[in-house]
Amino acid sequence: MAQKRKNNVNRQIASVHLTSKIGQTVVAILGVTFGVSMYIFMNSFMNGVNKAQDDLAFSNLSHIRIDNENEKNDYNPVEAAFSSGTVFNIRNKKDIQSETDIKNTQQVMAILRAQPEVKDLTSQVNFSVFYRNGSKKINGTISGVDPNNENLMFGSADKVVAGKWDDLNYQKSGLVIGKILADNLGVKLNDNVNVLTSDGISKNFNVIGIIETSVKEIDKSRAYINIGTAQQLLGKNFNYSTGILVNLYDRDKTTAVVDRTQNSVKYNMETWQEANQQLVAASQLRNIIASAVSLAILLVAGFGIYNIMNMTINEKIREIAILKAMGFSGGDVLTIFLTQATAIGLSGVFSGLILGISISSAVNQVPFKVAGLTTLPIHYQWADFAAAMIFGILTTILAGYFPARKASKIDPVIIIRG
Amino acid sequence: MTTVNNNTNALEVKNVVKYFHDPSTFQVLKGVSFDVKKGEFLSLVGKSGSGKSTLLYILSTMDTDYEGSLSINGNMLTGQNQNQLSIFRNEHIGFVFQFHYLLPEFSALENVMLPAKKLGKLTFDEIEHKAYESLRLLDLEEQALKGANKLSGGQQQRVAIARALINSPSIIMGDEPTGNLDSKNSMVVQDIFRNLAHEFGQTIICVTHDNDFAQRTDRTIEMTDGLISNH
Repeated sequence: MAQKRKNNVNRQIASVHLTSKIGQTVVAILGVTFGVSMYIFMNSFMNGVNKAQDDLAFSNLSHIRIDNENEKNDYNPVEAAFSSGTVFNIRNKKDIQSETDIKNTQQVMAILRAQPEVKDLTSQVNFSVFYRNGSKKINGTISGVDPNNENLMFGSADKVVAGKWDDLNYQKSGLVIGKILADNLGVKLNDNVNVLTSDGISKNFNVIGIIETSVKEIDKSRAYINIGTAQQLLGKNFNYSTGILVNLYDRDKTTAVVDRTQNSVKYNMETWQEANQQLVAASQLRNIIASAVSLAILLVAGFGIYNIMNMTINEKIREIAILKAMGFSGGDVLTIFLTQATAIGLSGVFSGLILGISISSAVNQVPFKVAGLTTLPIHYQWADFAAAMIFGILTTILAGYFPARKASKIDPVIIIRG
Repeated sequence: MTTVNNNTNALEVKNVVKYFHDPSTFQVLKGVSFDVKKGEFLSLVGKSGSGKSTLLYILSTMDTDYEGSLSINGNMLTGQNQNQLSIFRNEHIGFVFQFHYLLPEFSALENVMLPAKKLGKLTFDEIEHKAYESLRLLDLEEQALKGANKLSGGQQQRVAIARALINSPSIIMGDEPTGNLDSKNSMVVQDIFRNLAHEFGQTIICVTHDNDFAQRTDRTIEMTDGLISNH
């Protein structure tokens, strides 16, 4: 009881100090408000940018890609057959066609599907072709895909601007073509396109859809067909693919999955981090910039509070002395001024949160029509709000602590005697 | 007139020695010893530099940098730490200074209530009741809710006295409590002190250079060059 009442009187004095110079208090609070709101805005904006970038990147990039492309054939039977020291001369050596594909697709997919982190996976048969329409002939690639899984992983159906993605399931000679490629070939929905493979096989496809991703390179050169048709076109069986694409629930866990399955999969497994190091670097750099700027603002706010608290304490030095003479201890004085700092910090953090969200949602309305965006991107994360609160309160308490400690050490005799 | 236990010593000072070290070492108190009885109204006089104020601040427990010993109501205070002393001050010592030193943002009533709230032995209502009683005793009832900085000098000094009384301290110490008051207000304050000592048995020790004031007290201790020259 006694303890409680004593704390109340400290709090009462603190609140009177805060309200008697309300202008000063507001300035101190505004400092924190500004720092916290900037922290939230900067980070939410950077997160929005990162997320937009990632959404764009992951619209055609899987978290893990399994392929056989890195297999090199170093084996030289002549060197192996003769003992060393034998002189031989091979001219114009020809390698056997090395395999660049996955022969046991179903088995590999079964292994990955068993991993708890794996969300979706699909196999693709990709190869280069010539697209022909009359006298037009354009070099491009074909993706033989499992339409359902492809859609689950990359949301392909949403990107189809004419026709229907799902028709790939039923029309074995149907083809969904990139928009720019279609324009260049001069084909429209339901027109025919001739496809010529590198092995000289030619087949007519019916355009059942036109797709527009935000990646120009893809829209310019790619078309999608059913994976079964693709395997047929190459004369391969159902277990054949050129790559397996895997998406995880948490895309940061790629290394764990790769480490665990590498031995049984035996093919080249490439994580998105390895494939797109610039993506990782860019988002990390943006995060560093956002944190640095907002922490600098908080630091300035901290100095502001330090200054104001110091001024208050110098103004009230006689009152502090008299409080001590009346029996308030150094700890009480410390509590009084730390309470003020904490009150400033809490109000600043609270109004900062509101202001931060307001600024962010206002910025989120600004039109920005580039690369699939319609407005400037904002993405809120709980961690940013938590960090803003912690930094805001920490800065004020720290900025208040040093003046408060000075006040608590005031020797009343020196002040009262003048 | 004196009522309570006139034989008990409220305060005992034994051989107090005090040095100032700034700017050069200088002995302010050269071995001061005396006792103050309970309910006594005592004045400390002496020329400026005689050490009377220095002595008072040692008695007040705020200055702990001295040699010798100090005990109040039988409690040995020499050697206790600042926190223990501030708790002791809160409960047992009331202060009145030359400049009133009220908290300007608080009302007269709140100023009076502060030490009791700090002590925390009574409920808010009891404290408020007691504060009103103190203010009534000093004829300040009507000023209770006014801001401290809205009162006249004499009123402020009386509020400071009411504040010193709130915890019913056994000793009230004053450093030139009338030094900043005109003669009329000065008389009022002196009457209050005498009343407190003789009717409520509170011990009062005042530093003053006002000889009229000193003559009206029960006992006068005169300091010269750090020693008691007359008492």
